[in-house]
Amino acid sequence: MARDGVVLAVEGVSKSFGALAALTDVSLSVRQGEVFSVIGPNGAGKSTLFNVVSGLYAPTAGRVSFLGREITGLAPETINRLGVAKTFQITNIFPEISVGENVSVASQSRAAVSGRLASLWRRADVEARVTELLEAFGLTAKRDELAENLSHGEQRYLEICLALATEPTLLLLDEPTAGMTPGETRGATALIKKIALARGLTLLLIEHDMSVVMGISDRIAVLHFGEKIAEGPPEQIRNDPRVIEAYLGPPEA
Amino acid sequence: MDYLVAVLLPQLLHGLVFGAALGLLALGLTVIFGLLGVMNFAHGELYMMGAYAGIVVIGVTGSFWLALVAAPVIVGVLGAITEAATLRPLYRREPLYGLILTFGLALVFREGVRQIWGGDMRRILPPFTGSTPLLGMTYPDYRLFLLGASSVLLLAIWLFFTKTRAGIIVRAAVQDAEMLDGLGVNVPRVFTLTFAGSAALASLAGLLLAPVFTVYPQMGVEMILLAFIVVILGGMGSMGGSVVAAFVIGLAQSLFSLWMNPQRVAIAIFGIMIVVLIVRPRGFFGREGVLE
Amino acid sequence: MSRVFGWRSAVAFAALAALPWLPGVPKYYLLLAFDALLFGAIAMSLDLLIGYTGLVSFGHAAFYGLGAYATAILLERGILSLWACLGFAIVVVGLYAAVVSYFATARRGIYFALLTLIFAEVVFTFFRYTQTFGGSDGIQGLPDALVFPGVAIDTPARKYYLVWVYLLLAYAVCRVLVTSHFGRVLVAIRENEDRARFLGYNVQKYKMLACMISALLTGLGGAIYPIRAAFATPDLMLWTESGEFIISVMIGGLGTLVGPIIGGVFFTLLRDKVSSYVDWYFIVIGVVLVVIVLFLPKGLLGLRRALGFGRWRATA
Repeated sequence: MARDGVVLAVEGVSKSFGALAALTDVSLSVRQGEVFSVIGPNGAGKSTLFNVVSGLYAPTAGRVSFLGREITGLAPETINRLGVAKTFQITNIFPEISVGENVSVASQSRAAVSGRLASLWRRADVEARVTELLEAFGLTAKRDELAENLSHGEQRYLEICLALATEPTLLLLDEPTAGMTPGETRGATALIKKIALARGLTLLLIEHDMSVVMGISDRIAVLHFGEKIAEGPPEQIRNDPRVIEAYLGPPEA
Repeated sequence: MDYLVAVLLPQLLHGLVFGAALGLLALGLTVIFGLLGVMNFAHGELYMMGAYAGIVVIGVTGSFWLALVAAPVIVGVLGAITEAATLRPLYRREPLYGLILTFGLALVFREGVRQIWGGDMRRILPPFTGSTPLLGMTYPDYRLFLLGASSVLLLAIWLFFTKTRAGIIVRAAVQDAEMLDGLGVNVPRVFTLTFAGSAALASLAGLLLAPVFTVYPQMGVEMILLAFIVVILGGMGSMGGSVVAAFVIGLAQSLFSLWMNPQRVAIAIFGIMIVVLIVRPRGFFGREGVLE
Repeated sequence: MSRVFGWRSAVAFAALAALPWLPGVPKYYLLLAFDALLFGAIAMSLDLLIGYTGLVSFGHAAFYGLGAYATAILLERGILSLWACLGFAIVVVGLYAAVVSYFATARRGIYFALLTLIFAEVVFTFFRYTQTFGGSDGIQGLPDALVFPGVAIDTPARKYYLVWVYLLLAYAVCRVLVTSHFGRVLVAIRENEDRARFLGYNVQKYKMLACMISALLTGLGGAIYPIRAAFATPDLMLWTESGEFIISVMIGGLGTLVGPIIGGVFFTLLRDKVSSYVDWYFIVIGVVLVVIVLFLPKGLLGLRRALGFGRWRATA
């Protein structure tokens, strides 16, 4: 285990696309078992941060380490195998196969035999885990349905199931409640928190809607134009004048 | 020195002309790929039909210049009809269907031409035959005209894409086709017109090169393979990259043929492609993004 | 094993095995049946890539032709053992396929189609212009291969059984693959490649492996062709040949195994009839392809299913 219980350490990460700086010198550390949220207005660089952590982009500067091991610039599949799973803001599932198959493909990538030649053709027994995950998200009845036929809310849950099926230590959630009604959002938030606790997961959550994260986060960092402008527990963030300014614009003179 | 003037310079000139023609084809491919998500296998056949349309118009009117205007119009209209009738229903389907569909279209066009005009090699005579002394050598006037015409054409295309509203919209859509929906433009019409435009350019290249090369139903197949290599080398989706790569391949093709027989040239060009792919997997101007 | 072979496929293979015993089947039809089953088996191998993994190869003719040349080169030099020919074909096709699949799977989508096509054209050009291998005439007038010393594959019936065994093996391999975990991951890659990567799958490795398997099966099919035809020519590697494999897959239906076999058989019979009466054969083929893509994207089997004879399943 990593020293000081730090699961994910982002140190001085910058990322630019040509002349556009999407992230500038961002640092944060996520500790074992906490729910850490990154918020900020649209275009603040939250998704870019996720993409750097999960391996889609290599950062222009800085380093990322997971459980004390540097993962900067590794491929997404390698980072996932180390124990970092990610959900997508825009639902990203396997549309034309069944819900059960979706989860079992994901689950299989962690089966005991995986990596060996035998795993290519033998299906390890993942049924129990698939059943358990579908149960937890209330999708048991939809097991044989094609994933594309699920409702939006159910697809969001399936999205999380896929990530959880790879048995991560750290789960990155990119606006998990995007497109849900306020009622659904409350239910989903409570469910996510409950599952994280039960599995001893560390959560890193991205949101642009502040109300979602206030209730479940242990700590919150705020990004604005690619820079971190604040970090702290929810009540501190709620009252930080710079955060209020970032969200509401500068106070009237 | 004599070698330089008598052999190398004409070959360089030829390479530039050939590169410009390849550039016209590759640009069309790139724009269609960026916009419709379809790699058009029938593009070489549009190039070939430009030459045959030219033969027909010249046969009727006796004028090469009239053909130069009429052929792109004829092939452009054919392109527009083809796009509206066959590609439009595929917009929301997976790209592999577009690939297979245009492969089928290529077969129909190529064999259709063979049925109508036969499989023989044909020639189009250049509209003028003189030659001009330049840098200690004499060059056929038509080749100089070709170089001028293709340069003007590429310049005009560049101006279209940078200075006109229509051009800027198409160029932006090549980068990100979904942004079109937000602009309130008539998407199907933009697609059809763009396809017609790329067909017209391909046919123009076919007709312009016809007096230098020969005309036969298979001529498009050989060009399209080179054009594919150009598109890959330039970086998929990069219009500037396509033009640069076209000149690289055009020059390489004509310089290599000084020292090698044609099949060795083909293999050498393929070798260039492999080396570039090893050194720069995304081609000359490919954009970043692991999962593009 | 029951998972691999249902009773229906057992009956089908038994019926195919009985074909040479039917009274009054002319030799010509046995050889046509050879071509049909060979084409079907290759289309099935190709569908591992197109239908299951979502990769369109426009270069399968090169795998096919290389296999054919491997056999032809040995037979021409008096090495008549079937097993030597097959082994040599596996080595040659395997080496070539390893290079092609490495480069072609490095990037996504369309890129695979273009690179397989370009590689195949280079192989075609090489054989077309290399006089050692007969140039444009290829290698002609080959002797019969031997299964064992003294047992030659010389009659149409024996040749037919050769392709029958090949089809059986290819079908068994494909069937095991698509019902295995490997096949399930291939379908997941087809459905959503990005997501598969973020679930920890090394997508390129899976694609390369799928491409290698498909190429080797196709190469083995190529390797038995000269045993029936007594020649190998560069035309076997022409890109229109690759196109014909794709057409067979499309006719039969993407993402199934039986579909492309039927498609390949149907296509071979169509070609045999149409090309002998009509010289605009390629136009017919082109129109068929366009019509299928526009109106029957799941092929003839898809048509059957669309009419209500069972649901289309991507994974089996």
